[in-house]
Amino acid sequence: MFNFFYNNNIFTWIEKLTNFINSIFFALLIAGLSFALVFSPPDYLQGDSVRIMYVHVPAAWISLASFSCIALFSIFNFIFKIKHLTIITKSIAPIGLMFTCIAIVTGSIWGKPTWGTFWAWDARISSMLILALFYLAFIFIHKLVSDEDRANKISSIIAAFGLINIPIIKYSVEWWSTLHQPASIKIIGSSTIHSSMLMPLLLMFFVLIMYCALIFLMKYKTEIIRIKKKNLKRL
Amino acid sequence: MISDLILMNGYGIFVWSSFILTFLVCGIFYYKTRKTLRKYEEEFAKEINELPIEQKKIVIENSKIASKILSSYNKTI
Repeated sequence: MFNFFYNNNIFTWIEKLTNFINSIFFALLIAGLSFALVFSPPDYLQGDSVRIMYVHVPAAWISLASFSCIALFSIFNFIFKIKHLTIITKSIAPIGLMFTCIAIVTGSIWGKPTWGTFWAWDARISSMLILALFYLAFIFIHKLVSDEDRANKISSIIAAFGLINIPIIKYSVEWWSTLHQPASIKIIGSSTIHSSMLMPLLLMFFVLIMYCALIFLMKYKTEIIRIKKKNLKRL
Repeated sequence: MISDLILMNGYGIFVWSSFILTFLVCGIFYYKTRKTLRKYEEEFAKEINELPIEQKKIVIENSKIASKILSSYNKTI
């Protein structure tokens, strides 16, 4: 599977994928925003403030998924020493950090009309803040440690420890009494969200995933060029 | 209708600030990532162009990625 990343044609694939995403992105974005801000109904209890969900929830999903990928790839890299996994994790980390911050800030904005406060040391919010710290540690290790092998080892350990935090974030609303409501969307079992809200939510999630893919491809390309530049004399 | 959309029954300030903030941050992040990529492409292309002709030929023949970076950089300038 990882042979794909060693392929000399990788830049052609990146270009093709980037062009494809660029061609559909704005149409999807306009559709997503129209449904999120205009066509979806207000909540019977929260009113129009529920619309914040259409950016807050996808951002939170992306931040959790990104860190899970980083942790799993880091563990694989630690065991099997696949160099391209380092490039992949380094490219994903800033995207994950950005979406973690977006989830925290939009959650805080949503908290004001819903709970009457911007911030509370509730289990879900605190564990999300810890996730942001894990992201920061992962990124700064790569920036501060000049020896690449050592940086990879330390960042892999950080990612592996950070992975413990993921189920804590997911189940914090069930394990502790928190201000957050339990999950409305379940992969296993029936969701308690109406389709008129689920559809815009999934559409916005898809838009943000497309955006992530675009950024990832650019970051991946930058990392490859950085490595090629370093090894130019050896080519 | 437009005022309803802006005010959102008093929740407009919260909803709009969340959306604007999200897309502003995404926009800035996209711009910065693109700028960094262009900078690296430019530096890499410059380094290849500064090589002696023989060595430049070897680099382009040996690395498809190097030739691709060079051609995509040449397209943008």
